[in-house]
This record gives sequence, structure tokens and C-alpha cells, in this order.
Amino acid sequence: MGREKEKEKLSEKALNLLRSRLSDPNFIFRPLPDSPDSNYSKLKFIISTSVTEACNNSILLLGPRGSGKVAVLELVLSDLLQQYPEAISVIRLNGLLHSDDNCALKEIARQLCMEHQLLFSKVASFDDNSQFMIAMLRECGLAHKTIIFVLDEFDFFAQGKQRLLYSLLDAMQSVNSQAVVIGVSCRLDVDQLLEKRVRSRFSHRKLLFLSPSKEDTERFIEHILSLPMDSSLPHNYAAEFNGRLKKLLSDERFKELIDTYLSFNFTIGHLVRFLFQAVSYMDLSAGFLSLGNFKTALSSNQRQPKLECIRDCSVLELYMMVCMKRLEVKEQASYNFYSVMTEYKSIHDSFQTSDYYAANVCLRAFEHLLQCQLISFIDNKGHNQSVEFRPVKLLISSAELHQGLKSYQQCPAILLKLMDR
Amino acid sequence: MPTETPRKQFQSPKKPKQSPNNVKSQSSTPSIHLSPQTPQLPLRRSSRRSLQPFTSKTVDEMLDLSTPRKALEDLDGIGKCSGNNRKGSSVRTPRAPKCKFNEEDREIPEMGKVGEGNGVVEDAFCPVSPEALESKKTKKGLSEEGSVKMGKSPKCKLNEDLGKLGEGNGDVVLPEKRKKGLRNEESVKTRKSLRCKLSEEEREIPDLGKLGEATFFPVSPQALESKKRKKGEEKRAVTRAMATRSLKKVNKEEKKGRKRVYYKKVVYDGGEFEVGDDVYVKRREDASSDDEVPEMEECRVCFKVGRGVMIECDDCLGGFHLKCLTPPLKEVPDGDWVCGFCQARKLGKDVEFPKPPEGKKRVRTLREKLLASDLWAARIESLWKEVDGSYWFRGRWYIIPEETASGRQPHNLKRELYRTNDFADIEMESIIRHCNVMSPKEYAKANDQGDDVFLCEYEYDIQWHSFKRLAEIDNDEDGECANGDEDWNSCKEDDSGTDEDMEYEEENERNVHARPSTTHQLAANSRKGRFFGIQKVGTKMIPEHVRCHKQTELERAKATLLLATLPKSLPCRNKEMEEITTFVKGAICDDQCLGRCLYIHGVPGTGKTMSVLAVMRNIKSEVDAGSIRPYCFVEVNGLKLAAPENIYTVIYEALTGHRVSWKKALQLLNERFSDGKKISKGDDRPCILLIDELDLLVTRNQSVLYNILDWPTKPHSKLIVIGIANTMDLPEKLLPRISSRMGIQRLCFGPYNYQQLQEIISSRLKGIDAFEKQAVEFASRKVAAISGDARRALEICRRAAEIADYNMKNQISSVNSSRVKDVVTMADVDAAIQEMFQAPHVQVMKSCSKLSKIFLTAMVYELYKTGMGETTFEKLAMTFSCLCTSNGEAFPGWDTLLKVGCKLGECRIILCEAGDRHMVQKLQLNFPSDDVAFALKDSKDLPWLAKYL
Repeated sequence: MGREKEKEKLSEKALNLLRSRLSDPNFIFRPLPDSPDSNYSKLKFIISTSVTEACNNSILLLGPRGSGKVAVLELVLSDLLQQYPEAISVIRLNGLLHSDDNCALKEIARQLCMEHQLLFSKVASFDDNSQFMIAMLRECGLAHKTIIFVLDEFDFFAQGKQRLLYSLLDAMQSVNSQAVVIGVSCRLDVDQLLEKRVRSRFSHRKLLFLSPSKEDTERFIEHILSLPMDSSLPHNYAAEFNGRLKKLLSDERFKELIDTYLSFNFTIGHLVRFLFQAVSYMDLSAGFLSLGNFKTALSSNQRQPKLECIRDCSVLELYMMVCMKRLEVKEQASYNFYSVMTEYKSIHDSFQTSDYYAANVCLRAFEHLLQCQLISFIDNKGHNQSVEFRPVKLLISSAELHQGLKSYQQCPAILLKLMDR
Repeated sequence: MPTETPRKQFQSPKKPKQSPNNVKSQSSTPSIHLSPQTPQLPLRRSSRRSLQPFTSKTVDEMLDLSTPRKALEDLDGIGKCSGNNRKGSSVRTPRAPKCKFNEEDREIPEMGKVGEGNGVVEDAFCPVSPEALESKKTKKGLSEEGSVKMGKSPKCKLNEDLGKLGEGNGDVVLPEKRKKGLRNEESVKTRKSLRCKLSEEEREIPDLGKLGEATFFPVSPQALESKKRKKGEEKRAVTRAMATRSLKKVNKEEKKGRKRVYYKKVVYDGGEFEVGDDVYVKRREDASSDDEVPEMEECRVCFKVGRGVMIECDDCLGGFHLKCLTPPLKEVPDGDWVCGFCQARKLGKDVEFPKPPEGKKRVRTLREKLLASDLWAARIESLWKEVDGSYWFRGRWYIIPEETASGRQPHNLKRELYRTNDFADIEMESIIRHCNVMSPKEYAKANDQGDDVFLCEYEYDIQWHSFKRLAEIDNDEDGECANGDEDWNSCKEDDSGTDEDMEYEEENERNVHARPSTTHQLAANSRKGRFFGIQKVGTKMIPEHVRCHKQTELERAKATLLLATLPKSLPCRNKEMEEITTFVKGAICDDQCLGRCLYIHGVPGTGKTMSVLAVMRNIKSEVDAGSIRPYCFVEVNGLKLAAPENIYTVIYEALTGHRVSWKKALQLLNERFSDGKKISKGDDRPCILLIDELDLLVTRNQSVLYNILDWPTKPHSKLIVIGIANTMDLPEKLLPRISSRMGIQRLCFGPYNYQQLQEIISSRLKGIDAFEKQAVEFASRKVAAISGDARRALEICRRAAEIADYNMKNQISSVNSSRVKDVVTMADVDAAIQEMFQAPHVQVMKSCSKLSKIFLTAMVYELYKTGMGETTFEKLAMTFSCLCTSNGEAFPGWDTLLKVGCKLGECRIILCEAGDRHMVQKLQLNFPSDDVAFALKDSKDLPWLAKYL
């Protein structure tokens, strides 16, 4: 009993360790930087040269979501902040929050004030703030300080007049400052969004963050999931844990499972999330990771929301959907509640089903379908029209509907027959 | 190990030592030598008033001896006129402090008579009439008596600590203490009622703790007598702060009385001092060694001054005769030279310099004393004559590295000084002579300018103990353009200096500087044009990498290719610049300058703004030379305005310095330009308005543009507008009434062709061997083919250099074999071009997940099948499942497929509607299908994809 408890404690400890690792970008991206080709060292080189050689730079970090753009950037920044503790100040902006030029400049001024212990005024105008920014750029340049502007969701800054980008980049080509503008975006065509005069001032350095190769992924999984031998965990436990993990990793089924997951989503961020899920399913009493954990994680990842929705529908709603399907088969492109009702009535007339309901009941079912987003209005026109007159469209394919009907337990047999005909 | 002289771009000058005499300008007063420089006379930074009778007495005696008028004039010139004044001497005309202005081409129209020869001008105003002085003197006396009667003011002895601060041999005045002193001084300044008595033998200053009510008044004659007697004994050192403080008080008192006269240049005691000069300042009153200021440095070996050429060691700064060295040198070698002693010491040997012969003390030069903090150096910020005729200057202290909070840093150069933001008013008497503080660039060039050469690259903030690089003067000038040129309003400036307003303003400014915590703190970003607290920004230490890093060729290339680096010459735009020059010159010189408007257009990066600014710089230098009338120049960027209407505010502020709302500004500008009303007296100058990004000013009814372009057509507006935009046909797109005003004179900046780009790049890279010739040509051809944007070309080259640098550094760190030659090759340029111009989508497609690949293939297949670019998710899913079933892949399910599509949409590889449209979601490829085919054709995990592409 006591031993079991102790074991549970141990495995809990291991679990916590793994979880904390998985949520720490520092640990995840640390093994990558060593090679000179990695984005980490390239980015670090660019930023550190602009610190040491006092020049301006602008870089774009591109890559799909979850490929670790910001994580690597933060890694680089934290390293450089350690290396040059006084010489760097980082201004962070996010396009989702500060896409408005006015508010972005205000935020820049605020962060600059914070950084240098100056008093910040909220009421300062756009001109004041932009002048202040340029003055600060110059002063910081004179004091050998580098300002790093991190613009997350860069594509949102590249909208409209792009005053912020223009004044930033123009300052960098005219003021004797040392600043780095780092744009982070998942849109690959973001440099095409820039206005031509902004684009001309932008230096067009680009770093592309790609998903790792298959071999890298395997190595990466092992690196994350194996327990350290020299930690507080008992040595033999860690050894056994790692041994089992190795066995698991070489298992064909496991490889297949990971492949299925990766075939759908390839980036490191998502993989880490998947691993977190799998690790969380770890059986504490057993204390080791098993294939089952990963299977559950995968199945919970691959849910089919629309099918589940069909499972929750009432029979009447199924009838309505089948009616819609039949209408579509008859090549009736658009239909509204009343045309569905006529079809429903005709079915009832020809097959004499037991499930016949009044029009108002059907309307409720129709509205529920709308809420479930199994059907939707074709267009956004006619908001003032009442629901029953607006044309709708079925959002699931016939195959899905068929599958859903089959898995529905009390599905009337007539419905399946109707589907086929 | 002795610290090695760090050097980056500047090498310490190699100087055959010359007599410092050549620094000192020739004395213009041959007949009379007044005493201030004579050794026995102590420094009177704090006691100038008490000493005046003494000097004046000498003056009187001298006058008795020889009273030629010329001598008298000279006397006035060097500022010893107070004695005459006091005596009410009849020799003197009341209009008088005559002063030498040695500026040749200075025209002061109101001046009565322009003096003989080299423009000796008599100043027209008379700050002090003898009577006034008399009355003032009596007033002073009265006040003294009054205070004696009052007697209640708690006088306190001079804080001994403070007194001793600067005593001894080279005590470092710690900034903390000085700060204390400063604070003290502030309180003195702020409390008007506070006076304090200051006499020579018992100087009383308010205690730091309890600032009592002390009275300050000039020293009575009796006190003077005693002072004279005790003169020999006084051995009091004065700290800088104390000097400042006591002087301030004097000034305060002075302000109530007469006005000061400000000068730009003063000939004082045989030296010519100008605003902006750097001087040595005496530190201690008793400085015993002051009396034997050596004209020349002694040789460290033979201890003689001698006439032979001397060479300076770059390590210990000692001077050596060439012939005294072993072995003797024939001539001064190039590069750095370190004396044998230092070399030996570096090798760890214990070597001593030869001892001076018995009985002879080694005389230290001023430079040595300064670097041992026995002296001070200051920069003259302004010069004036007090009411009583003594000459003063406002000095900005220099500080040696040892005196800063962080102490001497290992990379500090031997001759390095910091400029502080600490000011003090100093009497001219304490000046010893000129020294020469230079910026690194000048310093590197200065080879044989004598011993008094120092390097100053940083400004030291005494409040925050932080360093900041000195801005290059080039940058500062931009802001001053609107204020016009000193030559033309110098007369105005001269007398405006006497205004009390300005005094106060100056004082306020000083307070802002000197006070770390004002009662109401001002926000840094809100004050119009002036940012508070920005002086806080500065490094605590000068980072080592700035100094100790020797730039490689590649790094130099990178630095010179920076967009921010202003090239020395602007190649390839001569024709356009000439055109702009003739336009501007014609407009300025024309009295009417009616309807002058120039529209410049061209694609980005073709040097439009740069050319105009370069032309304006050239013209400004011509204005400085006096060949063209002065003008004011206003530069506005349309994209930097919050709204088009704000341009009025900006223009008005640039013209007058006041900030008003745009409506008010519009009204005022209308008054000025249309109605010809003058806002202030300075604005009859023509005004050149440069509007960058003109197209941003187009509003719906285009009133802003109309107003601005209408002003030049008004008579007497004297407004010239230069508009810059990208589009060629902007005037045509505007209303006809605007295009008729703007579109007359146009200038087109075409895109650069590849030869021009090549010339631009290679002119920047001149002297730097970092690029292969073909590499430059490749880059410029590529850019010329695409856009002709010079910025782009420079950036490509810089990026290529960066790539080469990166590769080189990595190679060095990994394998210890260095690259054959660190030049930028074609491959580097190609890599840079690839990075810059190639869209990254192909790589992303290659590395994306399996399902995404199939999805993309399905998209292409669908496109081929239907010929329609746009498809819906429903159709695509059908195709997808077909593909899957026929190739043995598992169909992942509709919802998963939808997610895959949305992910691709996120990266903009395909364009898609929001995911909640589901079946009816519209999809379209964002890149040509060929790209997809290219990317996916040979994917390893899905070889069957090629069938469908």
C-alpha cells in the first residue's frame, strides 16, 4: 500500500516534470539552436550585429502558426538581454491590439517611458508621440542602446496608410539610431501587403520557420519525453521510464499513430500540445507512458463535430435534413423553410410516416438546425425577413448525413431509404 | 598588465611636439600686460569683486605711467575698465566698453563707426554710465549697512568639508559631493530672499543643512584692505560647485542692476576667445605650480625643452626627443609608437624613468595637470561683460574619466575627456589658455597640433552618471534651419542677449537640467517639441564592444551601406540636383517669387528627398558664406501627419515656434501669406516648403492642397513649395484648379539603371575591399531589372555582406581554418537576392503536412478540371476523397479536411472564406498552380501526387 502510494507520488512527480517541460518554450527550442543554419543563430546574429555595430535592421519572421517564431525570438532576446543587459530595450506590439496607428504609437511611447523611467502622458497627441519616438530613437542611438520593436501579427500593421510602419522605417533610414524592427507573421505574402514606399524602406530580411523533418520530430519527441537521469527522481525509475519510452517509440503502431497525427498537423507547437495531452492521460498507478495514452489523445484530437451534432438531433430534424437533401438531389439550388415543408408534406403523403408534426413545431426544429450550424442562410441579405422565408443551405454533405443517420440509434428506416432514392 | 590603448577607428595622434604657442593667438596688446596671468595673482573665481580694486589700482598706475589713448583702448578691450569707471575718469567717453570683434565680414548697419583695419567695432550701447555705477555703489553700500544693522541672519561658516574638497594635490571631486553643492545652489537660486555674505577672509555660505537667511553683499572697502593684506595666506581651494554657486549669487544680484553685454569673441589678455572654444581653467587659487606653466613639454630623458622634434609615446603620453631615444629615430614613424619604457613594462620588467637631475623638479605640462585633475577644462558657451567691466564666460565643464561615477574604464583613451552638462559662470581671468578638444574624427586627423589635444566623444550626465555620444553637428543643424543664419541676425542676437527674459529663460533651462526632481514632473512624451527627462537616457558604462572592436572590412562595408549613412557625394543625380538648385535659387533671388511650385515625382528609392535635402544643404552653405539671402526651410512629411489638416500646425510651428490648433494656424498662415501681414519681424525671408509624400494631403474636397498651393500665387507671400510624390499624374488626378497651380514645373526622377546603381554602391564602398566587382554588378543588374530602387540595391549588398560575415564567423568558430578571403562573392549576393525577392511559399508547401499536400493537389486538379479559379469546399472535398480512394489513402473526415484548408488559408497559400461557411466555403489558390506543381512534384512521402499535377 505504502509502496504503491510512493510509486504514485513518483509518477506524479515525473508527470509534473514532463508537463512543465512541455509548457516551457525555452526547453523545447533549446536543442535546435546549435547548428549555424538554424533560425535561432541567424536571428541572433542579425540582432547582435545591430547591437554591436550600431546599425538599423528590419526582419520578417514568417511561418505557419505554431512553428515557434515568437518562441525562438524570445529565446534570442532573453539571451541578448543577458549578454548586453543595459543596451537593449524591447518594445512589444501586437497587431491584434495595436493595428490602429495612433494607439500603436501611444503604446510605443508608453513602453519607452516605462523602459527609461520617464513620465508618460496619456493625452499626448499622435504628433507628440511620433516626435517623442524619433527623439528617443536618436537619444538611444547616442547612448549605444538598441531598441527592438517586435511587431507580432505584422500583417495587421500592414493595413491602411501604414503610418506607423512608415515612420518607424523612415526613422531608421534617416536617424542615426540603432533599432531593429522585427515583424512576425504567419501570412507568407505579408511583404506584398506593404505600400510601395514602405516596402522600399523595409530591408526585406526574411527568416522562414518551417516544420521539422520526420527524423527531427522523432528525436524531438524522445528529447522531451525521456526523464533526466540526474534529477531528483530515483535513478532506477528514470531508467525504467526511459527504457519503456524507447520501446514505445520504436513500436510500429506508435509510429503509425504519430504519422496520422502529423499528416494532419505538422508544426512543433501542435505536436507539443498533442504530447501534453497524451502525457496527461498517463496512468499514475502504472507510472509509465503507454500506447493507449497516445491513442486516447489522438482520438480526442480527431473529433468530428458535425457528426456529433447529427447524433444530438431529433427525428424531426433528421426528417428536415433529409428533405433538404432530396431537394438538392432534385437540383433545386435554394430552398427555404416552406419549400422544405412542402417536401416534408409530400414525403408524409406518399409514405404515411408516423412522424408528422405541425408547421410551428417544424419551424422550431428548423431554427434549432440553424443554431447548430447544420444549415445556414445562403447570404447575409434580408435580415429583416422572417426566418422561414430566407433561403438556406445544408452545411453537411450527403455522405456525412448518411453516416450520421446510420449511427443514429432510433433512426426510422424510412429515412435511410429516402436518402437513397 | 598595463592597459592597452584601445583603438577602433581613431589612432591617437602622433605628434611631434610643438610649442603650444601656436595655439595661443597673437597678442594684440603689446604695450600693456595686465596681471591676471601673472603667477602671484591667485584665482578669483569666488572673489572677483574683492579683487577689483587691486587690479584697478594697477591699471591706474599703469595709466599714470603711460596714457596713450591706444593703450586705453586696449585696456578696454581686455576688460579692465571698471577702475576707470569707478574713478569717473575723464579720459573715458561714456559710450564705451570698446570691444574687439575680429570677425571680418560682419556688418552691423547701425554701428556708428566701423573701426580701423580689421573690423574693430565699437559697440553702440552703453551698459554702464559712470553715474549709474556711482549710484549703484552707494546702493551697495547701503545694503551692506542694512544687513549689518539687521544682524540677525544666522551666518554660518563655510562648511569646512566643502572648503577642503578641492584641496590637496588633485583630490577628485566626487560627483555626489558636487551634486550636493549643486542642490545647495538651486535652493539659493529658488529662494529669492536668501542672501549670503561672501567676503574673502571669512566666506560665509549657507550651511547645507539649514539654509539660513544670509545676506550677500559686495565687499566693503575695509574688507578689501584686510583682504589685500591677507592675500598671501589664502589657500583655499574651490570646488567647481562652489564656484558655480557663489557666482550665481553674484549674478542674481547683478541682474537687478545693469545689463550684461554679450559677445561672440573677446580678445582677453592676449588670447582670442570665442564662443565654442575650449580652455584650461585654473582649479586652485594657490596652485603653486601655476606660475611655471611650461611652454613646452620636457623630454623624459634629457629633461630639457630643446628645439628638437619630440615624439609622444602612445601609452604613457611622455614626450621624447628623437635624438634622446635609443636608438635615435630619424623621423616620426607612422602608426602607433610606444616608448621603450612602456614596452619594457609591458613585458613585465621593472623599469624606471630616468630621474631628473638634482635640484630640478620635473615641470608638468598643463595637459598632465589636467589629466591628474589639477586643472579643469571647459568649453566657452557664451561670453559677456559684466556691468562692472569684468569679463566672464559661461563654461561647460569637461571631466576626466577618473572623475566620473564609473571611474576610468579600461577602454578609455589616454587623452579622453567627457563633456558634462554642468555649467558654471567663470571669470575670464581663470583661463590659462586654449586647449583643443576634438571629436574622434578630428582627433584621428590631428597629428601635430601640440600637446593640448584631447578627445571627447561622449557627454557625461552628472545627475544620472550616464554617458551619451555627442550628436554630430550635422544632425543638429537641421533644426536650426528655420531660425535662419547667425550672420544675418547677429546684431539682433547681440543685443537680445542683454534682455533679462533671455536670462531667465536660460536659467530655467538650467534648472531643468540641474534638478532631478522638479515639483511637478512633466510627462516625457507630451510637451510640444520638448521632451522632458530625455536626458536620462544614457549608458552607465560605455560598452566595451564600441571601442575595443576593430572593424573588419566586411563590417566597414556593412556600415557604409547602411541607408542611414549619408554618402559623401550623391552620384547620378547631378542633372536633377542642378535643376532643383536653379529652381530654388531663382525663387529665392526673385523678389516676388510668385507662384513658385515644383512637383517632383518618381518611384520610391530614387533619391528624391535626398537630392532636395542635399540641394538645400548646399544652398545653406552658400547662405553661410553670405552670397545668398537667408531663407527659412520647412520640411513636412505627409505620412507623418496624423491628419492632412495638421500640416498647417506644423508649418506654423516651424515658422514661428508656437503651436496652435490647425484652424487657428490656417487663419494665421492665411494672414501671413495672402494678406501679407507680418507675424514677427523675421519673416520677410522667403520660405521654402518641402512636402514629402504629397499625395497623402489629398482630402475629399482637396482644400488642404488648394490652400497650400494657392499661397505661392499671392503677391508678397514669398512662399516656394516643393512637392514630392510617387505618382507621375498626381496633378492630373486633382481638381483642375489645383493642377493648374501645381503641375507647371515638374521634375521626374526615373528609376536608376544598373550602371547608376553600380556607381552608387561602389562610390560608397570606395576604399573598402569587401566586394567582388561582379557581385556588385550582379546586385545592381538584378535591382535595376526589377525596380531601380537604390535602397533595395544597398540593402541587398548589405545583406550579402552580412551573409558573408555570418558564414565567415561560423567557419572560424567551427573549423579553425579561416576563409581564403573575406569578400562578398556572387553566391552571397545571390543568397541575399533569393531571400529578398523569392516568396517563401514554395518552401512552405514543400514542408507542409501530408493532408495539406493532398489538399493542394486536389485544388490544382479541380482547377484543371473545371478551369475555374474558384471552387467550394464541397466540390473540393469530393475531389479529395476521390484522390484518396484511388491512391489508397484514408479519408480523414470532412471536419479535419476543413481544418487543413483553414490552416492553408491562414498562411495565405490559398484564399478562403471563414471556416464556419463549411460546405459553401469558397477557396482559391493564392499562388500560380505551377508553383504548387513545382513544389509537390517530387515529394517523397506522396509520389502519386505527380500524376495529378
